[in-house]
Amino acid sequence: GVAPLGPSALTKENYYQLTMLEAAFNHLPHPSDSERLRQYLPRNPCQTPSYYPQIPPQHADTVEFFQRLSTETLFFIFYYMEGTKAQYLAAKALKKQSWRFHTKYMMWFQRHEEPKTITEDYEQGTYIYFDYEKWGQRKKEGFTFEYRYLEDLFYS
Amino acid sequence: DRAPGGPTSMMQSGITQAREYDDPPWLHEKTEFLLREWVNMFHSPAAGRDSTKAFTAFVQQMHIQGILKTDDLITRFFRLCTEMCVDLCYRALGDQTHNQTLTRAKCFHTLDAFVRLIALLVKHSGDAANTVTKINLLNKVLGIVAGVLLQDHELRHTEFQQMPYHRIFIMLFIELNAPEPILEAINFQVLTAFCNTFHILRPARAPGFAFAWLELISHRVFIGRMLALTPQQRGWGMYAQLLIDLFRYLAPFLRNADLTKPTQLLYKGMLRALLVLLHDFPEFLCDYHYAFCDAIPPNCIQMRNLILSAFPRNMRMPDPFTPNLKVDVLPDIGRPPRILTNFANMIQPESFKKDLDSYLKTRSPVTFLSELRSNLQSNDPGSKYNISLINALVLYVGTQAIDYIHNTGYKPSMRTIAHTSHMDIFQNLAVDLDTEGRYLFLTAITNQLRYPNSHTHYFSCTLLYLFVEANAEAIQEQITRVLLERLIVNRPHPWGLLITFIELIKNPQFKFWTHEFVRCAPEIEKLFESVARSCIQPKQA
Repeated sequence: GVAPLGPSALTKENYYQLTMLEAAFNHLPHPSDSERLRQYLPRNPCQTPSYYPQIPPQHADTVEFFQRLSTETLFFIFYYMEGTKAQYLAAKALKKQSWRFHTKYMMWFQRHEEPKTITEDYEQGTYIYFDYEKWGQRKKEGFTFEYRYLEDLFYS
Repeated sequence: DRAPGGPTSMMQSGITQAREYDDPPWLHEKTEFLLREWVNMFHSPAAGRDSTKAFTAFVQQMHIQGILKTDDLITRFFRLCTEMCVDLCYRALGDQTHNQTLTRAKCFHTLDAFVRLIALLVKHSGDAANTVTKINLLNKVLGIVAGVLLQDHELRHTEFQQMPYHRIFIMLFIELNAPEPILEAINFQVLTAFCNTFHILRPARAPGFAFAWLELISHRVFIGRMLALTPQQRGWGMYAQLLIDLFRYLAPFLRNADLTKPTQLLYKGMLRALLVLLHDFPEFLCDYHYAFCDAIPPNCIQMRNLILSAFPRNMRMPDPFTPNLKVDVLPDIGRPPRILTNFANMIQPESFKKDLDSYLKTRSPVTFLSELRSNLQSNDPGSKYNISLINALVLYVGTQAIDYIHNTGYKPSMRTIAHTSHMDIFQNLAVDLDTEGRYLFLTAITNQLRYPNSHTHYFSCTLLYLFVEANAEAIQEQITRVLLERLIVNRPHPWGLLITFIELIKNPQFKFWTHEFVRCAPEIEKLFESVARSCIQPKQA
């Protein structure tokens, strides 16, 4: 049979263990318990019908995949998924598309045209930037981008 | 749980001190004030990267409040902080007005701050190069948290909540495994400290913590550190101990094959963890297969198959279904596998081991054989036999036999394994034991049928030899049963197991199909036919 040694009586200790395990079963660990706090997009598990995708597409954790996303998506990931691999990949993809992060304004800038002036310390001209408060792209003329505010962590 | 001295004694004293309540009257208030201060500082934008600025200011405050005066006060401070964090979580979890997300966020707000404080105090205690102080402090704090947990588990009983402790342990582990030189220097001691803590909190001891415990030991960062990143496989032994803790806990329930829903869930989680290990660290399962099989009840076929199917990644194994496969000429078949359990030591008492060695050498006295059965019996309720002793005996005699045959200048084969003191013992066990004992004995042999190596080959020959030489059909039926029951379960199946079974049903020498038990019932007969079809003429995939 399934128990070739025959059943064996459980001890008092075993019954105590079962009772405690049963109690623990009523408040199981939540996926968020072992991850960093997600400020904006907390986990919210719920049943979804099986005919909807249950897992993300393969290779959705590569720079190549992130480069196929719209810039707005990348900005969303950057601002709303802080401290994750996704944020890192989004930043990488934005850089590949010639966006540069300004560490004082905490916003992404892209040259709209060749800068009017370029010196050792700054460049000046018209830029497109993404305003995370108004949530949209804006244009700024005669803007001075000081290089000391240029984020250069992940140049590669 | 372990010998006293060094970091372990720090942990033990931490556990004990978690139950001391004779605090100076002012301490509770001060601790509460300080903890609240720290939580606010930790979350303020001025805290600096990794809270370093806030930490410098906070240590000043601790000094002023007199907490850092003595080790005893520091210990009490940590205990009170832990209790306050835990109480806060109980209050939040008990409050039904908020949704789960908000409740969790509220708890994490304080827990994460507390964890960062521990991590920073550990990192900055003593000089940069003074690793002893750091490790002692870590062990002390882990001991305190474990002690508070055990006390809470005991007092609140079924109202116990795993979450605060789970969060503290995993977040602290992740913080202390950040890529920083100070932490890299103490990494192995950090891993040891956490393993000791998890061993102390094993499911048999804190069953209300079992689900969080399994999450902790199967966390990707933990497995990565224990099995991949630590050089020279120094984390393997400790990790194996934790798995054995889990197997031992589940054993009585699995053995009776009567699982409640919570036990089923824990079992499912464990299978997942084993599958990850089989896929990513097969060598680890190979090296500890003996100790694992010793802890897993005999009826857990699939669990055992998962472990026995592991093989070194650089090995190329011939398809067991290849026609006319010559096993004895495979390059790996002469090499012994690595076994990281001292099974020879498990043959107890010493007098029995001495008699065994003497019999293996001299093939006398015959009384050794006749007394063998009673030597393998146990007084344990629930099992007539000492299963661990049977396992140790079988593997020990087998390895001795392989050495002996090699020393005579031969290789193990159906011919060379016969008529030796080793085979005397095996044949005697096959004939003399009752059904239960023989089942355990054959299980012990079958546990060695794995990837191509000298043990697999020897025990494969041994099992087939016992089949041929059996004086009763009951023995042959039982050999068939042990092999078949491991094949009719879902994959994976160990290579050596397939090889042995295919040989049994294919080679006319064994007259397998003439036996009555093959046709004892129509469904059994059908089963054999279908297995034979898949073994002898595998479908071309």
